[in-house]
Amino acid sequence: MWLTWLELDGWRNYTTLSWQPDPGVNVLVGSNGAGKTSILEAIGYLSAIRSFRGTGDEGLVGVGTDRAVIRGGFAKAAGESRVEVEIPRRGRRRVLVNGKRPPRLATVAAQFPVVAFLPDDLELVKGSGSIRRGFLDDLGSRLSPGYGATVGEYEAVLRQRNALLRQDGPAVDLVALQVWDERLVAMASTLWAERVELIDRLAPVLGAAHDKVAGGTATLAVGLDPAWGDRRDVVDAVSFDTGDAAERLAGALIERRRRELEQRTTTVGPHRDEVRLALAGRPLRTEASQGEQRSVAVGLRLASYRMLAEHHGHAPILLLDDVFSELDVLRTAAVMELLPQGQVLVTTTRHDEQHVVGRSWEVVAATVS
Amino acid sequence: MFEPPLQRVIDELARLPGIGLKTAQRLAFHLLHVEEADAVRLGESIIELRRLVSLCGRCFNVTAEQECTICRDLRRDPAIVCVVERAQDIAVIERTGEFDGRYHVLGGALSPIEGIRPDQLRVRELVARIDDEGIKEVVAATNPTVEGDATALYLARLLKPLGVTVTRLASGLPVGGDLDYADEITLGRALAGRREL
Repeated sequence: MWLTWLELDGWRNYTTLSWQPDPGVNVLVGSNGAGKTSILEAIGYLSAIRSFRGTGDEGLVGVGTDRAVIRGGFAKAAGESRVEVEIPRRGRRRVLVNGKRPPRLATVAAQFPVVAFLPDDLELVKGSGSIRRGFLDDLGSRLSPGYGATVGEYEAVLRQRNALLRQDGPAVDLVALQVWDERLVAMASTLWAERVELIDRLAPVLGAAHDKVAGGTATLAVGLDPAWGDRRDVVDAVSFDTGDAAERLAGALIERRRRELEQRTTTVGPHRDEVRLALAGRPLRTEASQGEQRSVAVGLRLASYRMLAEHHGHAPILLLDDVFSELDVLRTAAVMELLPQGQVLVTTTRHDEQHVVGRSWEVVAATVS
Repeated sequence: MFEPPLQRVIDELARLPGIGLKTAQRLAFHLLHVEEADAVRLGESIIELRRLVSLCGRCFNVTAEQECTICRDLRRDPAIVCVVERAQDIAVIERTGEFDGRYHVLGGALSPIEGIRPDQLRVRELVARIDDEGIKEVVAATNPTVEGDATALYLARLLKPLGVTVTRLASGLPVGGDLDYADEITLGRALAGRREL
């Protein structure tokens, strides 16, 4: 898949932009703050209807405008799809795919494969559990609309249950709380089943990608520690049992009810899961060198790329945001192997970037030429 | 800011659901140029709506009488009641011609985020009807959303101990459509809820 054209209107620092990238490698050169990353972010947003920087919609609308608009064309062998997003400063955003509102937003991410390597990817390994859950759920949502819908529904139930606890605390209507408990348990066990299955698919691809990046033989293990009670166990698709998971969470909710009514928030469930990464048995987050952590971070992105390429039968769009300054020769080489496969958009501050050969674009003060 | 009489109309229109400031301005300028008789007719119809139409004392459907036409219809089965979120939903189900019981309008769905609790819905009124009317089955026809599903579950937990059967509308594929055109999520749900033939 490749991006044939992109139009921005009031997006971040862009008043207006109309741009036709090459189907191959595009190198966006410009100084810091010129607007390079904002272009990649817009492409990411168009493909998944959220910012890969994690910015809320209100932060995406340019200063002095009342709405941001992104439009673009994603071309595949079967034809081109036009995606349009309008984000008003206040009110609901509008999403159109080929002029029509998609039945659900979760269907968009599963349609347009994009993988981004970002400057702070080290956080995927080093950072808090929410970053790894975010990575996993983003990959899952891009592989199947059902995964994305499950994540969305679980989060919606969780928000409702937390609102109930926050507002009413110990004075809560018990039947109402039981109803949200039951919905939470149902959505949690569905989400766990999705996550466990995804990790099982990811593990071998990640292992192979990591071997290539690190050039070593240390075994990289990935597993899910589901937060279904006080105890966390590493589970895989073979050992996972939906009924058992539901029962454990339901039990934990009852056991913790008094505490949760006082703390006024939900303390167990998939929103507290940990995606466990270990190298030769050592937990990577706490017991690994920065070099080892970086190799695994690159491995996670490479594995996403491979899985999406295989799933769709064509190469995803690859976004490389100023990553060469962070990578050494070996890791750069592993990323570079992807370059011939599909469309690539690279940002760099250096005019003499040696790692990539492609069409060069100058980005100056939110203009591209 | 426009002349006060014009601004007032704009402000009033902009308070309506689904109407933003721009649409309100467009409508207000349109009204400024219509025949006076048309404007008067619109104004009067709104006043009459409020004066003549109220809510059914039994099911909270809209009606010009004490009770709505459905509740007054003696051919309808009082033992089965279809619970909907909004009065508009009644018309949708009526158009199917498949339901011959009565209705109950809850006035929304449970949503702690929006501050909607059971006591803000017409749940107490529904419970009171169970005995009064000898209701045997309640069909939870709330929307298939996170909030609608929770509301249906709430009704089930509340009413089952009273000996009432609580059922939920099935969700699945649009009839007469190609599998090709169903979105993956609807299809996934339909697959999960498959039945033996």
